[in-house]
Amino acid sequence: MARQNVLSVENVSVSFPGNSGDLIVVDDVSFTLAAGESLVIAGESGSGKSMICQSLLGILPPQAKVSGTRIDWLGRDLLQAGDKDWRTIRGAEIAMIFQDPTAALNPLITVEHQIGDAIRDHRKCSRAEARARTIEVLGMAGFPEPEHRMKSYPSELSGGLRQRVAIALALSCGPKLIIADEATTNLDVSIQAQIVTLLKKLQQDLGLALIFVTHDLGLAAQVGDNLLVMYAGHAVEQGGVRQVLDDPCHPYTRGLLRSAPTLQSSRANPLRPIPGQAPKPGSIGKGSPFRSRCPVVVDGVCEVMRAPWTNVAPGHDVACHRFARDGREGVQ
Amino acid sequence: MTGVLEARDIVKTFAVTRDGKTSRVAAVNHVSLAVEPGEIVGLVGESGCGKTTISRIMIGIESADSGTVLYRGQPVVSRADWRALRREVQYVFQDPFTALCPTMRIGAALAEPLIIHRIGAPSERADRVAKMLEMVGLHPDVARRLPNQLSGGQRQRVNLARALMLEPRILICDEIVSGLDVSIQAQVLQLLIDLQEKLGLSLIFISHDLRVVRYLASRVLVMYGGEIVEQGASEAVFDDPQHAYTRTLLAAIPDHSRVPAPAHNLGA
Repeated sequence: MARQNVLSVENVSVSFPGNSGDLIVVDDVSFTLAAGESLVIAGESGSGKSMICQSLLGILPPQAKVSGTRIDWLGRDLLQAGDKDWRTIRGAEIAMIFQDPTAALNPLITVEHQIGDAIRDHRKCSRAEARARTIEVLGMAGFPEPEHRMKSYPSELSGGLRQRVAIALALSCGPKLIIADEATTNLDVSIQAQIVTLLKKLQQDLGLALIFVTHDLGLAAQVGDNLLVMYAGHAVEQGGVRQVLDDPCHPYTRGLLRSAPTLQSSRANPLRPIPGQAPKPGSIGKGSPFRSRCPVVVDGVCEVMRAPWTNVAPGHDVACHRFARDGREGVQ
Repeated sequence: MTGVLEARDIVKTFAVTRDGKTSRVAAVNHVSLAVEPGEIVGLVGESGCGKTTISRIMIGIESADSGTVLYRGQPVVSRADWRALRREVQYVFQDPFTALCPTMRIGAALAEPLIIHRIGAPSERADRVAKMLEMVGLHPDVARRLPNQLSGGQRQRVNLARALMLEPRILICDEIVSGLDVSIQAQVLQLLIDLQEKLGLSLIFISHDLRVVRYLASRVLVMYGGEIVEQGASEAVFDDPQHAYTRTLLAAIPDHSRVPAPAHNLGA
């Protein structure tokens, strides 16, 4: 708590123009992040988790509209940032690691030049200095024999190594925040474990803030200090990772946990899928986004209004009418 | 080892050219596996371990360099043998987006196996399609839709439905839930269990997600570098892994239940 917030997102929404009015894909989401802290944003496809990340880097599609009170980044408001501001922020202060390292790297440029170019874009330095920094960040990212192998093209590397290059690229300009958007999803489990360990280590060693986007609650438990659960563009529950996973209070979080097999699950204790499908953007209206699949809907309330945030425990909040009314017993 | 479908001592090598030199790499190295009636066998391992290759050999999409595939105890050799096998053994592909023809309506896609294998009168086919769609939890109206009008989870159900049209004895499922969201994944897993219980279906379930395999399979085979390094009953392999590779694989699984949670918060 004592640590300084580097990022504070206040009531941010993202929408796209549609045929019948704007389609809201992120609706009124707020969170804060301190230096050296990690936040996991968990949710399924269409929950808006990637859209939030893209709004933090100014890389949303051009037709997207971002609105809200403020996105405070080290005292500056990213909602007001222009192209010139973004150029000093993107890559240098906030860096992103994408899901698919193959698509994130230029196939025609060697690893060395890809990272070197990024460094020289942001800093005045000689080629030799850029090269030294390239070797340094590749080393930090656990890329083996960087002096020698950085002459490779991305296609000559395995998926795990490519992701390490993408991490080195993200580290190259000394960012204060790294956003990893499903950065380990396409990797084999053992490589995934290595990459997650690496990100945690870098976060601690360099005092980085980390936003880790995933749909895997198991990964969330390993990576994060804090967890934000999103559903259909809405934040539904947030708190410390263990707080939320050990005491899930939103029916969606509970449903998600019951749907996800763990190493302890067996057919004697069957998974309980959440029935139905996530609503399409634009079809949610004013009510609770989860109402169409929720087992504990409050009649006459969930259809008409958004749930207020209710405090569960210090640092743990949930947005659910049922919880607000009946507490934990209500969402069992 | 005997079973309904069995692979015996399969070897498959691929030619790899690197720096102008061609060498052969064994993708599957003397692998034997069998599936019993009504059994779900999990096949796990990382990319490149040969799990997909062996399963493709078992249905004849790929041919083995040596070794035999047996169906009901008989070696599958001739084209007629393979054709008979493919009627009773169906393969469900990983990617529900590429497995369906984008210009073919779902109803036509589901009726196609019946046409190919000349099963039933043309007049009954629409009926069978509708029944099958219901069985996998889709509305019969889906038959009139095109694949791009369906979500990933719905497409995967359509894929399953198509594989089930011929009332197979065995399904080979290659990573069929790995691309799905958790809540949808749980629905598809439940469907597979229902099918196994209702139809007595056998499943070879290929996955890199050990959590899913543990949940679904009664027996599990762990592949590494083209070989089966460990096999046994799921509980035995997961609770007391013998091979170092299995242990590494298990240790790498992210699991939110691994940190012990207060009992009252889990479950219902």
